[in-house]
Amino acid sequence: MQKHTFTIALFLSCLGLVGLAQYNWLDQYILTVIMFMGINIILSSSLNIINGYMGEFACGHAGFMCVGAYVSSVLSVAIFAKDKVFGAPMLPPDLAWIGFPAIILAGALVAALTGLIVALPSFKTRGDYLAIITIAANYMVISAIENMDIIGGPRGFQGMKRVINSMYDVADIPWMLIWIIIGTLFSIFLIRRFVTSTYGKGIIAISQDEVAAEIMSINTNKMKISAFMLSAGLAGLAGGLFAHVYGYVNPQSFSIMKSTECMVMVYLGGMGSLSGSVLSAIIFTVLIEALRFIIPEVDSLMHSIGILPDSYEISQVWKWVIIPMILFFLMQFRPEGIFGNRELPDSFPKLRKFYSFK
Amino acid sequence: MLLSIENLYVKYGNIEALHGISFHVNEGEIVTLIGANGAGKSTTLNSIMRLPPPEAPRVISGDIKFRGQSILNVEPHDVVAKLNLALAPEGRRIFGNLTVMENLTLATYARKNDPDTEIKRDLDRIFDLFPRLAERKTQRSESLSGGEQQMLAVGRAIMTKCDMLLLDEPSMGLAPLLMYEMFRTLKQINQEDGLTIVVVEQNAKVALSLAHRGYVLDTGEIVASGAADELANDPEVKKAYLGG
Repeated sequence: MQKHTFTIALFLSCLGLVGLAQYNWLDQYILTVIMFMGINIILSSSLNIINGYMGEFACGHAGFMCVGAYVSSVLSVAIFAKDKVFGAPMLPPDLAWIGFPAIILAGALVAALTGLIVALPSFKTRGDYLAIITIAANYMVISAIENMDIIGGPRGFQGMKRVINSMYDVADIPWMLIWIIIGTLFSIFLIRRFVTSTYGKGIIAISQDEVAAEIMSINTNKMKISAFMLSAGLAGLAGGLFAHVYGYVNPQSFSIMKSTECMVMVYLGGMGSLSGSVLSAIIFTVLIEALRFIIPEVDSLMHSIGILPDSYEISQVWKWVIIPMILFFLMQFRPEGIFGNRELPDSFPKLRKFYSFK
Repeated sequence: MLLSIENLYVKYGNIEALHGISFHVNEGEIVTLIGANGAGKSTTLNSIMRLPPPEAPRVISGDIKFRGQSILNVEPHDVVAKLNLALAPEGRRIFGNLTVMENLTLATYARKNDPDTEIKRDLDRIFDLFPRLAERKTQRSESLSGGEQQMLAVGRAIMTKCDMLLLDEPSMGLAPLLMYEMFRTLKQINQEDGLTIVVVEQNAKVALSLAHRGYVLDTGEIVASGAADELANDPEVKKAYLGG
């Protein structure tokens, strides 16, 4: 019974969240932040497979997110909405709520296949060289999409709101929140199964010593393909959800900046710690949103005591000074991240009663 | 004949490391390859295991046959999983951030079709041979002493289910007493389980006392071979490798 306490608590809190959203007890803004939290959890925990458990250094996570976002957006608009380019909906929009998970998964699948761009060179390269390849993959994806005029090119792509609205016509419940909760729980479940299995232990062996892994009968190339594809696929899933929350996608939102955000989350939480990734994604999302309010406050404070000249204003761009600073201080004072490569129950043994990671 | 190396030439880049060596290993034997640093002992083992570069050199000509079949085109993980060869590599190379138990179970990675009872039996056998490992089951393997790490490396190799065990410098960094203990255990494994063992050693005296037969390598060529006790008494070998 106690082993299930955590699962039940998690289920109830998700249900509670949906309930709060349903009766409008949650501000729309807070709701959006919670949804981004879910997306960030998927992003950080999926990148952790590569950068944490497998010990590679991949910096192009947003590229896969971009593939997932575009594929699922185009599919959902083409199938369930009337659009200038794609014409009349192929299926009645009433069915959008049934087709939506399949569309998101299709996006994830294509993203997983794109993951092969990185997985195949990883057979021969490691470390810095692979990092360069992943950055290149990120840029390749973005410039490919920027040059596809049919899906809006650099102007971006929209119309997903119509699909979401047709879900609201079927039933008035917080659809996107529900999809994100399902997507997040699904990803965490999948990653947890993967890394705790004997099969998944193979990637930990690869991170330690590839040759030793090979003489332990581990097919390292196959393991790398599955790890990269799983990671890229889940990034694609997060991308699909992200696109549908915004109702609009633009290739530039998946630039190297976004990849950096993913990496900050992984290193903040701890490489090779799933609970660390989840926690750091939550902390990071809250921090980013808090900066929205803190930066103007700091600005007016500094102006009122006269430190800053009137002509200068501290803008939101300073976010990009503060986030790298987090990385900077993290690497100086706690390079292993919040949890290191341990899990929550390892750090707080009392929790083991309620929750077991393995 | 379990393993036969036939006129093997291998290269690292442009440098030839083995100049046509030939030897064989029979089932149930302990064979040792001895020689100085750079003689090509580890190169030979790495070639047999088909390790990926940079560890393994390119085979230029010659053949490596296991149970009569050439294994030159087999991938390293399949050499372990399908042909049941196992290597305890030089420098141990255990997975430091995994526990002793996790290291041992990781070795059963490709044994998905084996019943649990069989894996359990093999595990018990390892703990029976190396009681110290049983005491340290849940300890992270990086925290083990050098000797215990070597035991783990050997145990881990055996756990992959092997018909032939290759050991690269098992005595390296071990205190003399531990080293004798390790070699006694290897002899025990050979006698009780009938496991064929190939030992590469710099410590020729101990290696020859353990083995049935031996080959002496010098700069990529086999310069002497024969029964272990004959080699140990051979004046040339004595002079060059056994310190007179």
